[in-house]
Amino acid sequence: MVSLARKNLFQDLPRFVVAQAGIMFAVSLVTIQTGIFNGFTRSTSLLIDNSNADIWVASEDMRYLDLTLPMPLERVTQAQQVKGVNRAEALIVGGAVWRRPSGEITPVRVVGFNPDGQLFKPWDISQGNLSQLKQPYTVMLDDSDKDGLKVERPGEAAEIGSFPARVVGFTKGIRSVVSSAFVFASLENAYAYDNSPLASAPDNPPRPPGLTATDRITYILIRAQPGTDLQDLQQRLEAALPETRAYTREEMARLNQVYWQKSTGVGFILGLGAVVGVVVGLVIVGQILYASVSDHLKEFGTLKAMGSSDWFIYGVIIKQALWMAVLGYLPGMALCFALGAWTLEAQAIEILISPITATGVFGITIVMCIGAAVFAIQKVTHLDPAIVFKA
Amino acid sequence: MDKLTPPVELQRITPAKAVVASGIEMIFQSGAERFQALRGIELEIFSDDLELLMGPSGSGKTTLLSILSGILTPTAGTVELLGQEITGLSRGKLAKFRLKNIGFIFQDFNLFPALTAQENVEAVLNLKGIRRQAAKHQAQQLLEQVGLADKVKSLPRDLSGGQKQRVAIARALAGSPRLIMADEPTAALDSQNGHAVIELLRKLAKEEDCTVLMVTHDPRIMDVADRIVYLEDGMISPQAPHFFPVADGASSS
Ligand SMILES: Nc1ncnc2c1ncn2[C@@H]1O[C@H](COP(=O)(O)OP(=O)(O)OP(=O)(O)O)[C@@H](O)[C@H]1O
Ligand SMILES: [Mg+2]
Repeated sequence: MVSLARKNLFQDLPRFVVAQAGIMFAVSLVTIQTGIFNGFTRSTSLLIDNSNADIWVASEDMRYLDLTLPMPLERVTQAQQVKGVNRAEALIVGGAVWRRPSGEITPVRVVGFNPDGQLFKPWDISQGNLSQLKQPYTVMLDDSDKDGLKVERPGEAAEIGSFPARVVGFTKGIRSVVSSAFVFASLENAYAYDNSPLASAPDNPPRPPGLTATDRITYILIRAQPGTDLQDLQQRLEAALPETRAYTREEMARLNQVYWQKSTGVGFILGLGAVVGVVVGLVIVGQILYASVSDHLKEFGTLKAMGSSDWFIYGVIIKQALWMAVLGYLPGMALCFALGAWTLEAQAIEILISPITATGVFGITIVMCIGAAVFAIQKVTHLDPAIVFKA
Repeated sequence: MDKLTPPVELQRITPAKAVVASGIEMIFQSGAERFQALRGIELEIFSDDLELLMGPSGSGKTTLLSILSGILTPTAGTVELLGQEITGLSRGKLAKFRLKNIGFIFQDFNLFPALTAQENVEAVLNLKGIRRQAAKHQAQQLLEQVGLADKVKSLPRDLSGGQKQRVAIARALAGSPRLIMADEPTAALDSQNGHAVIELLRKLAKEEDCTVLMVTHDPRIMDVADRIVYLEDGMISPQAPHFFPVADGASSS
């Protein structure tokens, strides 16, 4: 079959290139906005998604991960007694102040966990190992925070509150756009940092003591026994542990995502950007197709006079639109992936392009191009084949 | 229909008259403006004839050709092509009828500029339901027939006017239509190119078994015409007006 659509499209190469640039722009805008949204959303629940806990027990007053009230450590032992609990571990999440050797201070988020535990640990470690965290006043930071915290390699020291902090290792890609830099430490060290007196660091502080039953922790991570109904277990936990609420990991993640989406309005802003992308794309493709059809009007009139059906001609225009969609989408997507890789590297902002996003954007591109074709089709519908005999 | 009309089955195979038009009136109306382009046209064209339509500019030749090929609907009157009345057909049915039965040749060639000579013919064959290799092969044959075997891969912009019109003629012949409608096929050509096209049309008129209705001012084709119809002020004039050359072998009706 002779592809009139393809040949007509490529005949005017400069115009074709402009059209493709327009579609690429629209594709990229929609993909990047969606990707940033996905990356943002994932980053708000990063710690939760990567925990191995089935259930997170939190204070009933918790609003989101960083805003909650503490509970005594004895709740962990109590939780251990609840039927259906296989394992319970404490987690401390608290704010503290990082002081560089130069004296400058930066807020950090101290995450305390049991280095021998199973339900939470930094999941991607690029340097050092977890057991080093058992030494007093040791921490791990993320590679991406090296600049912000002015640390370059293991062994370097700073202060958190009034205690020393020796960096023993680094994690990779554990960073949240809605949180200050994560500082990973053992429960004991984290507790000490969290409750550090305001005075400046003593020269040789005593080793942080082990936690006692009344010491305050932030969350209890629960692993259920195999085959336990999680909903029932949540209810039993809430009944056994006063002033708490139990969330499944997914509920906890969702709660944080929704909180940040709502409080920042990020969905609206990025959604608006995506809509602008589609509208701009629609206008550009619409104009290009319309101009192309206008240019080839006499040919379409000739086809009509010779007896082709209207649908054959619509087919030519729609095929043209589909060619434009595919040939704009592919480089557009490639651009987004390249940009995504670069931003992750350079900015530590993730543009998360999931297969669903990629497929969805392809769908939007197709709909956009066919929508634009409808403009052009109007013109052919009203075309009188009698024009063919007019010079 | 009169009593001499053959029975329906026979009509379909070889209707004696390829074109029968009667009582054609055409009034163009735009706003308050009203212009009668054709009045009281009665016309019959026998099958396999070459019929010329001549007349001064503005006399209504193109309008009549458009009506006779089912592109334009007359204000009044009926048109019967190949034994079938087309005046009452729906737009879609008319289009199908044209696709199957009529080949068109235009003054400005109306080729698809993005397609090569062969693709131009092939696209029309595709449209008529002939596909792939068969279409390729037939397109090559048709171009050979119009003397363009060596130009199959050329784009229209690389062809002379006469060559373009020969591609258009090959395209009009695609699918072996029973009727060819041509509007001034040589008007846009210089005398040399015009001559080549005329030679081709003469050959086709003699050899091909299809009915040709051609609007033309070109006297070089008159000698092979079976009949010439003269239009003047939207009416068929009984004989050639004095300013028209009358060629041997052709007679006005
Ligand atoms: N769509 C239209 N609307 C109004 N008037 C029209 C239309 N088409 C044709 N006419 C008028 O009808 C008359 C006949 O036009 P037509 O094109 O049939 O002439 P023609 O014999 O083909 O002339 P030429 O030799 O110059 O091509 C002209 O006066 C023209 O202005
Ligand atoms: Mg004319």
